[in-house]
Amino acid sequence: MSQTSSSSAIHYGTTKPPLWRNVAVLKWCAQLAVLLGVLAVFWFLIAEARTNLAAKSIPVGYDWLDNPANFQLGEGIQTVDTPERSLTMSRALWVGMVNTLRIAALGIIFSTLLGVLVGISRLSKNFVAQRFSSAYVEGLRNIPVLVQIILWLAILGSLGKLTPDTGPIPGWVIVSQKGISLPRVFLADGFYQFAALMLVFVVGIVAVRRQLKRRQDRDGGDLRIGLWTFVLFVISAAIAWLINPIMAFLGPIFGAIEDAWGAVPQGAMQLLLCVIAVVGVITWIRKFLDSKRSPAGLAKLTDDDWFRMIFSVFVGVVAVFVVVRGWPGLSSWIINSGSDFWGVLGDKFGDGRGAKPLDAMRPTLTEGRFVNFGDTGLTLTVFYASIFLGLVFYTSAFIAEVVRGGILAVPSGQSEAAAALGLTRAQALRKVVLPQAFRVIMPPLGNQYLNITKNTSLGIAVGFSEIVQVGQTVYNKNSQTLAVFSIYMIFYLSCSLSISSVVNTINRRLAIVER
Amino acid sequence: MSDVTMTPTSPSNGASNRTSPLQWVRVNLFSSVSNTIQTIVFTAITLGLLRALLGQAFSEEADWTSVSTNLRLLMIYNYPADQIIRIWVSAAVVLLAAGLSLGAWKVEPGYTVGRLGRHLVGLGLFSLVTRLLLPVHAPDTVRTWLIIIGVVSLVAGVVVQRGDPDGDRVMGFGTVLSGVALTFLAVLWLVPFGQYGLVDGVLVAESGTTVASSTKVPWTVLLIIVVASHRVGIILGRALGRSLRAALAAFWVVGPAFVIFVILRDPAFDWAHVWSTDIPIAAMFGLGGAAVLYFVAAPGKTEVARAVGAMLFAFALFNWVAAFFGWYPMLQKVRISFLIFAIVVLLVPAFAGDRSTRRRVAGGWVAAMVVFHWLLTAINTESTLVITAPPFLGGFVLTVGIAYYVMLASFPLGVLLSLARTSKLPIFRVMSTGYIEVIRGVPLITVLFFFSIMLPLFLPKGMGISDLAAVFAGYTVFSAAYMAENVRGGLQSVRRGQYEAADALGLTTVQRTSLIVLPQALRVSIPNLVGQAIAVFKETSLIAIVGGFDLLRIANSTIPNQPDFLGQKRPGLLFISLVYFVFAYSMSKSSQRLEARLKDAQAR
Repeated sequence: MSQTSSSSAIHYGTTKPPLWRNVAVLKWCAQLAVLLGVLAVFWFLIAEARTNLAAKSIPVGYDWLDNPANFQLGEGIQTVDTPERSLTMSRALWVGMVNTLRIAALGIIFSTLLGVLVGISRLSKNFVAQRFSSAYVEGLRNIPVLVQIILWLAILGSLGKLTPDTGPIPGWVIVSQKGISLPRVFLADGFYQFAALMLVFVVGIVAVRRQLKRRQDRDGGDLRIGLWTFVLFVISAAIAWLINPIMAFLGPIFGAIEDAWGAVPQGAMQLLLCVIAVVGVITWIRKFLDSKRSPAGLAKLTDDDWFRMIFSVFVGVVAVFVVVRGWPGLSSWIINSGSDFWGVLGDKFGDGRGAKPLDAMRPTLTEGRFVNFGDTGLTLTVFYASIFLGLVFYTSAFIAEVVRGGILAVPSGQSEAAAALGLTRAQALRKVVLPQAFRVIMPPLGNQYLNITKNTSLGIAVGFSEIVQVGQTVYNKNSQTLAVFSIYMIFYLSCSLSISSVVNTINRRLAIVER
Repeated sequence: MSDVTMTPTSPSNGASNRTSPLQWVRVNLFSSVSNTIQTIVFTAITLGLLRALLGQAFSEEADWTSVSTNLRLLMIYNYPADQIIRIWVSAAVVLLAAGLSLGAWKVEPGYTVGRLGRHLVGLGLFSLVTRLLLPVHAPDTVRTWLIIIGVVSLVAGVVVQRGDPDGDRVMGFGTVLSGVALTFLAVLWLVPFGQYGLVDGVLVAESGTTVASSTKVPWTVLLIIVVASHRVGIILGRALGRSLRAALAAFWVVGPAFVIFVILRDPAFDWAHVWSTDIPIAAMFGLGGAAVLYFVAAPGKTEVARAVGAMLFAFALFNWVAAFFGWYPMLQKVRISFLIFAIVVLLVPAFAGDRSTRRRVAGGWVAAMVVFHWLLTAINTESTLVITAPPFLGGFVLTVGIAYYVMLASFPLGVLLSLARTSKLPIFRVMSTGYIEVIRGVPLITVLFFFSIMLPLFLPKGMGISDLAAVFAGYTVFSAAYMAENVRGGLQSVRRGQYEAADALGLTTVQRTSLIVLPQALRVSIPNLVGQAIAVFKETSLIAIVGGFDLLRIANSTIPNQPDFLGQKRPGLLFISLVYFVFAYSMSKSSQRLEARLKDAQAR
């Protein structure tokens, strides 16, 4: 806008407008004025908050993070102060974050499964299936998720008392006021040998697959690659299950790596990190410039592009500074933890570990309570179960709509064309319709995943110890509201950013398929 | 809970009037092996879920009198019983406007007689299936009524379908509305709900009698008002057209606030103060402002308007700076009025015109100032109501009121943010993008907590804010970010040619935005905005966590703590689920219809 008006002024040779009529100047003035206004309002508010906090003699800062928490958590990786590990404020918040992530991850998996099923059955030609799934979707998405969560809590709370013979299947699956408990499969001693052996086998299977595929492409016909892969995989898993102790020789090797890693001098590690940072920045800038290059030469760089390059150089400089001066402990930490890692891994392959790779355990009850630690069954407390069920059912209704919309967005000509090529219905769905539907489904699906993550914060209504609830307990104890809110914000923003970057990466992959 | 609209085996798709039911079943349910398996599996799931839901609703300890006794609490919370006429008057005002609007905008749902018949048959079958699946603890009246409803609607459905064999006769909206009203009235007057009430904490139940006439009579009047005003709206809409619609639109912006703060809250005006201060200020701004606007709204006066507007704007900002340093005292509403006036003067050249336009601008300004100052005065005046528990709004009224006002307040904010985000001005773009992304990245509950806890800390001494207002502010800030994204989608759909054409006509930026770009962008984003409205409505339930007495809080903690209904959570929660469902579902249905209509309009 500013360019057009100024260029037209030059073009017609009229006199340049005075400063107070120049559109470009006015626009910048307006922007700066608004920016200053916003900053002034913020400054004013923060000053007020500081005086108000000072009046109540509440210190500003994050020093309280190392204080003992002095409260118990409902559930999580650590709920009380233990001799080995004290429950500080920061540890309590960390436990809350882990709880949030745990429920978000499980919720994402299960609501996707349920949502895809319902979404597909909504497209079924069968009358009952179609009606059922549309009632499912409409019913669940039009009732607030908080109401659903609280309803689940009320329903679960009205279940029977917990006794050893409670359950649909006493001793195995127990559903009671205290929660839901299932048998759990866990990794036993032999698992790492098994996994290492499987890795070897998988390399072989991939080679066979590639060979088969090459032959199929050359000679035509259907060699049933998928079927063969599956059969080979099952056979090798069975073999690995039986002979996994032979991998015990890895233990001493990892031990040797541990020693070698621990012997690296700190200066060498610092140098290595600096080189990685510098090379990384240079590679990024070269790639970036390459992406701007067309056959006609380098395209004109916008301000934004310059800003990005300057910013990446800045990041590199900061990284080098951090490694060398800011945080010298980083390189020794990397050395120590790397050597620890190999040591722990070596221990997993120590002698005498040749038992079953996997084992299972039924829920254990002591004094009418579930045992939550050690090799025991998997227990969902009522709070966990209610928020989990509420989130999964609510979100699955939205995901079902997303899936349905995605499949409907693929033009019917595509499946007709696939049928004309002689593909079976399953092949057409797998190779033609679904890949295209995915492209439509992915962005809104990512949105739903973000919503699940944010909605875990409703755990506060049922007393589930997720980050918001723990944070509230913290600021009720020490009035550090502003600091706790900043932690909330950083946590949720990083969750959102990581989910959306994963979704964007997948999207980009899918988009390349298009060309 | 998903089975509320289940019609497990009802015929559909208009096929029933040509094929016999048996044929229909064979074609739709058992045509092939996979089809048969699907039918069996999904019927089993449906019946199992319905049975489980009924088991929850009519379990041994469920006491539905906890809901019917507390209906008043759920609707209006602690509003004083002797002032309840105010609730009825407000409802009448809102429903009158709703009826008039439905008539004036000629809303036609396109409901056919055939569909009515199918729905009735479905309802009948559903009630009968429900009756069969009822658990043993269900009260006998429920069993009886399910059979009565099932048989009556089944017969009615068959009769209706016989009466319209083609199934394509469209029913007018007036007919549908009257039908709904009549059904509601019949239920109200005929069904023996039983009259319950808590008198001095003691449950007084008179089962078998009908609903109290103090409730029945007002409802009858309200329903008559809706049907009649719809009729009047159609007639007036033909006669007055645009001006009626403009008046109604204005009502929907200020009317509800008027209802809440003037009718429901009943401010005790200090008339001496009103005559000495409030009315002179309003008159000064109204008449003085109107004179200025009348002068500058002429086509040639753009420069003058800009100069005057800029000066006023600077003065308005300076007032706040002065307030911060305490240089001179000034009423807050005078400061706000100056700011609004400055913005209006700056914008007025975009709408300049001949004598009648100028008169309309000036008249509109006077009306806006009168309403604005009256509302401000009413809000700042103590209420005469004696309320035992502090928030005078609660229950369903609170849910609807908050949802409505959050939508209304976040709309202009969202439009501004989306304009800033799509503008070419880098600082505005960065600021607005940052705002939108940060707010959209965090959960609503943290924003609500932040506002309800931190806002009082941020305010200067002597300035307070009520809990509900803080929550409202936080919710608006949150909703505006989402609103902005919805509007941005619409803005991006406006073609470049539109901008270029507007530039070629010599329109200013304000004119181009407000007259060319926004109308098109908003029309495209209406479906998304309705979706946002549904989300806002549903998420008002979070107010329960931060201290408001909305439907959820009452059902989840107030009712289960009453001595008569200790621990009675499930009936109340199921009831409010139904309330939320009915409103959210009907909103989403009407949004789908609107979308279809807009698509038709674009295709033409």
